[in-house]
Amino acid sequence: MRTVVGAAGLALMAFGALMVWDQSTHWDVLIWLAGAVVLHDGVIAPLVVGVGFLVGGLKYRGLVRGALLAAGCLTLVALPVLLRPLPTANSSVLPLDYVRGLLISLAAVAVLAVLLGAGRWAWGRVGRADDPESR
Amino acid sequence: MKPRLPAVRPPVFKGRLHDARTATSIGRLLGVAIAICFGTGLISHYLQHPPGWLADYLPSRPSWGYRLTQGLHVASGIAAIPLLLAKLWTVYPRLFAWPPVRSVRHALERLSVAVLVAGAVFELLTGLLNTVQWYPWPFSFVPVHFAVAWLLAGALTLHVAVKYPDIKEHWSRKSPGTPALPAADGPDRRSFLTGVTAAVGAVTLTTVGQSFTPLKTFDVLAPRHPDHGPQSLPVNKTAAAAGVGQVDPAAYLLTVDGPRPYTLTLAELSAITQHASVLPIACVEGWSKSARWTGVRMTDLLRRAGAPPDARVRVTSLEKYGSYRVMEMGREYAHDPLTLLALTLNGQPLTPDHGYPARIIAPNRPGVLQTKWVTRLEVL
Ligand code: HEM
Repeated sequence: MRTVVGAAGLALMAFGALMVWDQSTHWDVLIWLAGAVVLHDGVIAPLVVGVGFLVGGLKYRGLVRGALLAAGCLTLVALPVLLRPLPTANSSVLPLDYVRGLLISLAAVAVLAVLLGAGRWAWGRVGRADDPESR
Repeated sequence: MKPRLPAVRPPVFKGRLHDARTATSIGRLLGVAIAICFGTGLISHYLQHPPGWLADYLPSRPSWGYRLTQGLHVASGIAAIPLLLAKLWTVYPRLFAWPPVRSVRHALERLSVAVLVAGAVFELLTGLLNTVQWYPWPFSFVPVHFAVAWLLAGALTLHVAVKYPDIKEHWSRKSPGTPALPAADGPDRRSFLTGVTAAVGAVTLTTVGQSFTPLKTFDVLAPRHPDHGPQSLPVNKTAAAAGVGQVDPAAYLLTVDGPRPYTLTLAELSAITQHASVLPIACVEGWSKSARWTGVRMTDLLRRAGAPPDARVRVTSLEKYGSYRVMEMGREYAHDPLTLLALTLNGQPLTPDHGYPARIIAPNRPGVLQTKWVTRLEVL
């Protein structure tokens, strides 16, 4: 079964590769494919690992990590709408103020994270006050 | 003594969660997202470019079908971004496996993983840029995005087959491999997954309103917004871009070719029984919005031309350039009572950008095939 699935995968890959090869621009496609790996493994991943290293020891590690993940992904998704050269072909493409949109989204993430953190901190104190061992 | 070269050592990762349980938990979500992208992508491709034998069998119902599938295509692609990053972070240490290549088999395996990563990043990147109509690469988007999709689907299938033992060992919390991992990682892994879920939620909430209109208030980062556009409906190609401009209503003529050919002026077209359809414009770029259209039923126009009940139609636009100037419609679309040659949008005559004086609106079709500025119909 495993072999069959693996072989099916190889067949699909071969089909895709043939279609890429059929393009007159196949070398450009290959350069972009390789570039995608370099972009990830060489730029994005080291950045993320670095941030992870800095955040790793914090007390609310999970919360900070979640907030940074959300903020980072929001920023990434916003990059194309922010960086696309203007003007667009018509006014219904990119109609919004995306700097504002991104700032609002990031602020919402920050506020939520702070509220959650404060909630946890308060909860932790109540928990300790109830705990006879800690008196 | 052997001379010793200064050692080049790969980095050492002491951090947590770079394990197979985390890779499995995130991998399967990513797998589902990629599978949805692939399936809905194929649907979109064959609706737009059906092989000849298929064209007459493409269904015109459900009328919201393409709106759903293409909305899902773009939404699951966006949701896959946090999942892909989380997955690759988890397995990043394996990039530095030492020695880099142990055997021919190992080399091939690593090559297939490289194809997997390249394909995944490439598809998400090109797809996302396409939605903002930005094409900074030297190849054409549609055939390449389509070809690499197969490459990625194949690499993913192979990946699951290769990793099957690891996946099985770590599928659930109770699978044999999971308890063997450090117990302290459990809560940390759950909190990581919660964080990833939050990121998926954040990017979805801020973009999905471009197609799922009830959430349009939260659409602050999508390239389209349902309320922005002429007549409160976004457009993909303006009259200026199509080289059409303002059509003179007195000079306009619709030609219908068939067993009994005829022509109609705009006044004559408006005098034929008008029907209403509530149908969405659903763009390949993922945005969509429903609207109320009125105009003449395609079936009425065809019957008048003496078309047989299984006829196809070729529709020609006044637009000067573009690959969608001529469009063909299979039997199911042509004979669906909802399919109109529309003259009004939400109670107002069409504006030039929406195809004045007459445009096609049909159910379950990509927006690029809803031909605007229609000047000629041919019974096939
Ligand atoms: C587009 C989708 C995916 C991408 C890009 C991806 C990427 C990767 C990469 C780069 C590795 C490291 C491979 C190595 O160096 O040996 C890996 C490992 C792994 N993946 Fe995936 N993967 C995907 C989907 C999946 C799915 C659907 C599953 C399972 C449901 C999965 C489960 C695993 C497992 C169990 C490992 C081994 C981790 C370990 O041993 O530490 N992956 N993946």
